[in-house]
Amino acid sequence: MIFLYFDPGLGAMIAQAVVAAVAAVVLFSKNLMYKVKLFFGLVKHNDEKDDVFDEINIKDSDLENKNSSDS
Amino acid sequence: MIAKNFHSSSFRDPSGYVFIEDGIIKRVIHPIYFEQYNKLTESGFFKVLFNNRLLIPHQELTYTNEQIVIQPNKISFITYPYEWSFNQYKEAALLTLKLQKYSLEHGFSLKDASAFNITFHNGKAIFIDTLSFDFYAENSPWRAYKQFITHFLGPLVLSYFHGAQMLKLISNFIDGIPVKMISSLLPFKTKLNPFLYSNIHLLAKLEEKHNEDYKGTSKKASLSKKAQLNIIESLYDYIKKLELKETSEWGKYYNKINYSNSAFILKSEIINSWIAEIKPKTLIDIGGNDGTFVRRINYKIEETLVCDIDNNAVDYNYKTLKINKEQFMLPFVLDVLNPSAAIGLNNKERFSFLDRIKEYAPDVTLALAVIHHMTLSGNVPFDKSAQFFSSFSKYLIIEFPKREDSWVKRLLNNKAEFKEHFDFYNLEAFEIAYSKYFEIIENKAIDGSERVMYLLKNKC
Repeated sequence: MIFLYFDPGLGAMIAQAVVAAVAAVVLFSKNLMYKVKLFFGLVKHNDEKDDVFDEINIKDSDLENKNSSDS
Repeated sequence: MIAKNFHSSSFRDPSGYVFIEDGIIKRVIHPIYFEQYNKLTESGFFKVLFNNRLLIPHQELTYTNEQIVIQPNKISFITYPYEWSFNQYKEAALLTLKLQKYSLEHGFSLKDASAFNITFHNGKAIFIDTLSFDFYAENSPWRAYKQFITHFLGPLVLSYFHGAQMLKLISNFIDGIPVKMISSLLPFKTKLNPFLYSNIHLLAKLEEKHNEDYKGTSKKASLSKKAQLNIIESLYDYIKKLELKETSEWGKYYNKINYSNSAFILKSEIINSWIAEIKPKTLIDIGGNDGTFVRRINYKIEETLVCDIDNNAVDYNYKTLKINKEQFMLPFVLDVLNPSAAIGLNNKERFSFLDRIKEYAPDVTLALAVIHHMTLSGNVPFDKSAQFFSSFSKYLIIEFPKREDSWVKRLLNNKAEFKEHFDFYNLEAFEIAYSKYFEIIENKAIDGSERVMYLLKNKC
């Protein structure tokens, strides 16, 4: 591990515990809402038409990915 | 060992440094970073990022026990965060999170999250700091978390509430906008939002508290990997959904211009005929708003830079580029009357716009519907604007709206009692001043408008 060349902030290290807890609740409720919507058939797929950004996951492929919507 | 031409922006990271040899950017890696570098290379981590065009690819030049030298692919024109439009900024933030998530899943972690680690290349954001990946230590929080907030989340949320101009703030805060300042600039209602409260207001509070009682003994905070992934994902979701309140006025711009459709077509035909003669490889359109005229050029130019003062216009251009999957265009925000300055240590960390554009030396500059704004709104004399345009490219295609043009009339009327000071604004004075720096090759009036197009060749 390399020593830091900027101040990460001790406060920021501690804050992450709270941020993570909030994030967990937000993500959980998002998934729950998605499941509820899915159950009632309310999930729209045409929302993504104008969406120019990819999802967070990177394709673990050895081949050149030319279809990424970010490209 | 320090090379003679050590790049002036490369000193923060002890893992290595960037230097320039025969105009080519190379990177030296110190033994302290060998283990990380080897693992990143052997495990195929770098390769996946190269293939997804998320990290600038590099070739290994030499490998000894003292140092490794790599050569990253060349990026012809670097833009900085304070020159990005809202969606460019957003893409850079998302790219950082994407890389951090992928890193965590493969035993690494980004050791910094500076917005300056990213630039735009071939129509997308790309990470350029190859040495930013470090080993992930089990249950350690993300060390670059605060940096991510001050470089990305803060500026983006501030723009959401106060407009995209907020993105320029980072030119004054090279290591991120102070979190306390972000917190104080946000409206009270953001404290009721658990996401914003925890990521910004609480962070500001805790930072302040621990700055005071910090005695140099570093307490250790721990955070599970799952928890960190939750942070990354929630930041990603939030930023991905963030949109500016101000919708682009420029989408409608060409519907409200003051000349007819035929004049618009004629103007683009004149540009096309001159471009076909010049056969440029590179072009810069100054005041190019949403890139409309550049897209109408039918000659294939390798790369075009399109800048405008209006963040919304640049953003509209950027979205168009993403939808069309164009790679030849690089939009960015620039105020011609106050181009980006050189900043950072010794004023040499981030280069000024003029330094970068002189080095880039585009074959041709387009300046359409700009001169009247420079002269009449900015009070820039013709001689000064001519000097500016002559300082970086060989050819200049410039549009001159005459006094009879409705925009010019409006600008002149705004001058009220000082109107007569602008009597010099006419074709003759323009030609005399520009002839000092340029040879006038051709001029053509745009029929159906009060505007004249000029093709000029640099004398220097």
